[in-house]
Amino acid sequence: MVKQILIIPSIFFLIIVSIFFYLLIIDRNPSEIPSNLINKTIPFFETESLFKNKKFISSEEFGNEIVLVNFFATWCKPCRDEHGYIKKFQSKEKLRIIGINYKDDPEKANAWLKDLGNPYSDVPLDKNGRIAIDWGVYGIPETFVISSDGIIKYRHVGPITKKIYKKINLLIATLKLKK
Amino acid sequence: MIPSLGNFTLWLSLFFAVFQFFSSRKNKNIKYISLAVIFLFFSSLISFFLLIYSHVISDFSVINVVQNSHTTKPLLYKIAGVWGNHEGSMLLWMLVLTLVNYFIFKLLNKKNSSFILKTLEIQAFIIIGFLLFTIFTSNPFLRVFPAQLEGLGFNPILQDPALAIHPPLLYIGYVGFSAAFSMSVATLILNNKKNIFWYNYMKPFVIGAWTFLTIGIALGSVWAYYELGWGGWWFWDPVENASFMPWLIGTALLHSLIIVEKRKSLQAWVLLLAILAFLLSVIGTFLVRSGILTSVHTFALDPSRGIYILIFTALLGGYSLILFGVKSRKFFDNNYFSSFSKEGSILINNIFMTVVCATVFLGTIYPLLVEAFTNNKISVGEPYYNSTVIPIMIPAIIVMGIGPILSWGKEDKLKILKKIIPSVLITLIMTIAIFLFYKSYSILGFAGIILSFWIISNNVLNIIRKNKAYSMSMFIAHLGVGLLILGITGSSVWQDEKIVKMKVKNEIKIKNYNIIFDQIVEIKGINYIAVRGNFLVRDDEKKIITKLKPENRFYPITNIFTSEASIHSNLFRDLYIVLGEGNMANGWVVRIYYNPLVIWIWIGSLLIFLGGIVSLNTNLKKLLKW
Repeated sequence: MVKQILIIPSIFFLIIVSIFFYLLIIDRNPSEIPSNLINKTIPFFETESLFKNKKFISSEEFGNEIVLVNFFATWCKPCRDEHGYIKKFQSKEKLRIIGINYKDDPEKANAWLKDLGNPYSDVPLDKNGRIAIDWGVYGIPETFVISSDGIIKYRHVGPITKKIYKKINLLIATLKLKK
Repeated sequence: MIPSLGNFTLWLSLFFAVFQFFSSRKNKNIKYISLAVIFLFFSSLISFFLLIYSHVISDFSVINVVQNSHTTKPLLYKIAGVWGNHEGSMLLWMLVLTLVNYFIFKLLNKKNSSFILKTLEIQAFIIIGFLLFTIFTSNPFLRVFPAQLEGLGFNPILQDPALAIHPPLLYIGYVGFSAAFSMSVATLILNNKKNIFWYNYMKPFVIGAWTFLTIGIALGSVWAYYELGWGGWWFWDPVENASFMPWLIGTALLHSLIIVEKRKSLQAWVLLLAILAFLLSVIGTFLVRSGILTSVHTFALDPSRGIYILIFTALLGGYSLILFGVKSRKFFDNNYFSSFSKEGSILINNIFMTVVCATVFLGTIYPLLVEAFTNNKISVGEPYYNSTVIPIMIPAIIVMGIGPILSWGKEDKLKILKKIIPSVLITLIMTIAIFLFYKSYSILGFAGIILSFWIISNNVLNIIRKNKAYSMSMFIAHLGVGLLILGITGSSVWQDEKIVKMKVKNEIKIKNYNIIFDQIVEIKGINYIAVRGNFLVRDDEKKIITKLKPENRFYPITNIFTSEASIHSNLFRDLYIVLGEGNMANGWVVRIYYNPLVIWIWIGSLLIFLGGIVSLNTNLKKLLKW
């Protein structure tokens, strides 16, 4: 009897280790973080725009079509990596994309977009990070899919990869179908 | 040149570690083993200093320096930056590990040679594992070509003196438990045929590890309190839990070692705890650095590292625990004792600590379990921990107050009842006094204050009575626990928080203080610019008691904003102000916290640490005597 009890710690340990192994090996994305905002309307914000001389007011910009919201900054290396995919969303999928420029210098942002190409229909500025807090942004880049009635449908933390690109396109296709 | 030399010293360390493994395994001449142990220590010391050197001279041909440093960084943080990142921290980890290895070697004598040699063999195995990990998945000496002109910077919230020494202290803790682990495995393998007092050898390492882990965790907490600007000091973050779990098991181990030493009871249990304390340290490292969990602690994530550490953990844990399962029966004894005795109270406390540890472990990995089986994502937060950990801690602390006055073996209940009457009275009086002062009532508040004064009064009374069984170290550490509970209770039960928008010259009241936003100024720091708010704090009698100057810093190199809270502490409360965003026209967002008794958390932790140091000192002396 005693002998069986003594072997219990090792059994527990091996079970836990196997679960860890399983989680490491499966195609898992730890940066897919559930958001409390999913299926809720977008948080309201009002701020300056990078290109336009008028204020960006969120309630006027969302709610007509499916929109992608992408938090980016020129100082963020992964943002540069994902930029190709953001451009593809615009050129190939014909999506309207709003790029929220997070804690950045507007001049640098302008130069950056000139250099890499501008897929954004508008760039509201989030100079002090307030908008990102309201959106529950963990770390940039982060991308949100907003349905045509202004509701957050999907959130991705980290740079867009080929897999995520496909996933978002699939999601948008189903959103359009439901409509 | 220097980085290549660094790389070379890593391989050299690996060579000496392998050499130590085989020579101690085959009981070779002591001279060989001593050479291996000493050279191993020096080669890891050299590789550590070479990396520091690369950081200090900003050698931007080294990827590690490019990614984590910048020429504008102050010297202290260039050095501390070495262990502020994953690769560099592995070198510090190695350094502490080889130093512990050296201390174990120093214990070697004719009587205990088989035991110490076995311990050194296992220790060498652990060192080899971590060296391979460092060299192949986290080599800090990798180069980049062409060399870069400037580093990418650093994380400014890590630029803090408390955080500069927090990792080394924690590592001494984690790695110190490796000695206990090796000794436990060695004892099990050898069946302790030669009747070695293995627990006497283990004890100073456990005390040392636990003591430094305590102060390391406390410093991390201090940093979170004034740097993160959330007004709190513990967040049940996975990384915090990763250090808290070995601490809990370490606490249990520390106390049950006393029973083994005095009564030769519970040997098998102690052997298990020694294995678990180190395993939990390694699993913690795995959880934090594999990217399997998301946490506020930023370490670069790399799945291949995760696989490696996990395989290594599986080897260490699988081997030691199966060994325990097969061999520990030999360490059972028939030295029974009543539950109402010193051993009884320690054992009860051990069980509580283990249960708390299991609870925290479950909370930490529960999101992973749920994901593995159901594909859902959940997160476990403060409500879970508060509603599970606190109820288990309450009886543990009641026992802790009475345990030290019980005698070994068996105790007369009536005698004890008489002994504790004064402390019960003191506790009651102090509790009533405190509640008359704060005038705010809650069950948790009552429980916390009663427990705190229960511990404090028992301690103080025993020192006054000159109880022989009461050592200085125990008095200091237990008093620290009492004060710690006082601080925790005060700061969580009576905290007051105000978030307001203030313009210059505005005034706000929190408790009995008036806070006036006097002016806002721009300042320039060494590698940041900041706006600083000047706040005047007036008490009831309109007297200015202090000026608080919270800052909102901007680090242009990394484009990061940080907030520096400004805090006024005294023995009764902290006033804590954080400056948020804003401008002259619309005013600034200001967060003001009134945090009662916080300072006692730090004083308590410091006392626990000091108690540990005193005990380490006595135990080392004892060990050196024979």
